[in-house]
Amino acid sequence: MDFGSFLTSPEIKVKIITCRDIFQEKAMIENHFGEDYINHSAVIKLDPADLKQLNVKKGDTVIVKNSFGRIVVKAEESGYETPHRGIAFMPKSPWPNMLVSDETGGMGVPRFKDISANVTSAKGEKITEMESLF
Amino acid sequence: MENNYHVCTGCALLCDDIEVGSEKNKINKVFTACRIGMAHMKEGKGEAIFRVDNKSVDEATAINEAVTILRNAKKPLIFGLGASTSETQKIAIKLAKKINATLDDNSSFCLGGVVETLIKNEMKTCTLDDVRNKADVIIYWGTDPSDSHPRLLSKYSYFPRGKEKQRGWEEERTAIAVDVRKSHTAKISGNYFFQIPPKGDEEFIDAVIAGLSGKLPKTSYNYPPKKLLELANILKGAKFGVIFVGCGLIYSLESLESLSRLMKVLNEKANIHLMAMVGNYNSMGFNENLFAETGYLNSVKFENGIVKHGPEYSIVESLKAKTVDAALIVDSDPFSILPRSIVKNLQEIPVVSIDPYETLTSRHSKVYINTAISGVEAGGTATRMDRVKVSFEPVIEANRPSDEAILKKIMEAL
Repeated sequence: MDFGSFLTSPEIKVKIITCRDIFQEKAMIENHFGEDYINHSAVIKLDPADLKQLNVKKGDTVIVKNSFGRIVVKAEESGYETPHRGIAFMPKSPWPNMLVSDETGGMGVPRFKDISANVTSAKGEKITEMESLF
Repeated sequence: MENNYHVCTGCALLCDDIEVGSEKNKINKVFTACRIGMAHMKEGKGEAIFRVDNKSVDEATAINEAVTILRNAKKPLIFGLGASTSETQKIAIKLAKKINATLDDNSSFCLGGVVETLIKNEMKTCTLDDVRNKADVIIYWGTDPSDSHPRLLSKYSYFPRGKEKQRGWEEERTAIAVDVRKSHTAKISGNYFFQIPPKGDEEFIDAVIAGLSGKLPKTSYNYPPKKLLELANILKGAKFGVIFVGCGLIYSLESLESLSRLMKVLNEKANIHLMAMVGNYNSMGFNENLFAETGYLNSVKFENGIVKHGPEYSIVESLKAKTVDAALIVDSDPFSILPRSIVKNLQEIPVVSIDPYETLTSRHSKVYINTAISGVEAGGTATRMDRVKVSFEPVIEANRPSDEAILKKIMEAL
């Protein structure tokens, strides 16, 4: 257990893997700035044990940050049977892209599925608005 | 009554069996399509929008401003085109030549490497119709078509009764998923879901090769050898197998060497094909068209008749190194799909966005030209993910110009 988990607002380290989501994609086609798209995009899917350690309930907002950016998104349980503590999933969208490193080894391929970040409770802070991402 | 089928340009499957109902030039009913296709087909309703500096202008003013930006640029970038018709792509290639532009599409940071091996015939591939008619072993590796290409399983790869597979998925097909999470596709694969840790693909490939060669398959993450041997045996027995490769696999590999090795060993013992799960409906077309013109699939720079190629001419490296001074973005939304750490540099240069959709990119562009959705409001041709050519007609009358028409006008004015 890392030191962060003993803080008043526990913080955990995660590796974020981005993935596709058909409901999000449909919402994006209908309106790139619509509520439905935002609700399906500004989401991080965590292992239930990680949610417990963070002391947040599913549906609460969390801060996800690293040296590239900071976003507030909704925390959800992944629903996967196999435990995956320390690994989180996000639908690919401008939100996880805020955290993707510019380090590419000169090969032109960012690490969309290998994002290191810290997660902590957002204590009610609202989801980062799309307009404020740029 | 004769059915009138349309092509859905919602993804690279280019499903050609879509029926629609329309009223007052708006599609209000869509049959056969998936959730994505349904939304896509119904989107054809837009009125023409032309903007310069976020102010509404007429078409001529928007085109003039776009032309001025491109004329003044010393190092322009043209990016996107995966969701454009082949006709539009060919004009964009000509335009790139004319203005000495860097030209790239999504494939440079997605599946371009695999697509290159297929276009160059370096890996064995087949068509989706072959898969439907013959495939007995289907592997989804690092991809979740149930979310990205929703009808891949129902129309082509698993559930249909193919010519030589009349007993279908219940008896004659085995679906296998290799992934880091139990995706919707992995759920369908049932007991043949092989869950591996992130970055575990390379070792998994080596272990499968060991299993195929009669050796004990080992991984540092202790994947059960019995399960690996079971997988190797299924693959060995494949009379017509296909591996659908997604970014989940490709991003995990250092190079394509291990995948090539796997394909070689598999085809010494069985009959296995490979297909890339390209996303945009005509990404394959862009790669083919550029390859035909230059010998490269993406990441090129035209310089007075010479073609330069390399990752330094990809959108990611061009923006990172700030080697471009203006951008023409066609049917793509780099502000949404690229890391902010890189795409933020697009904010420092003038951007022209040509797109049917209002996107983060269109909102951050100096010039925005709203165009018809190809496949819904405009016709053309495209190349399906399996390299089959598909033509389509507009389903409804467009109230806005096609991207092809706009690019032609820009080209003529330059």
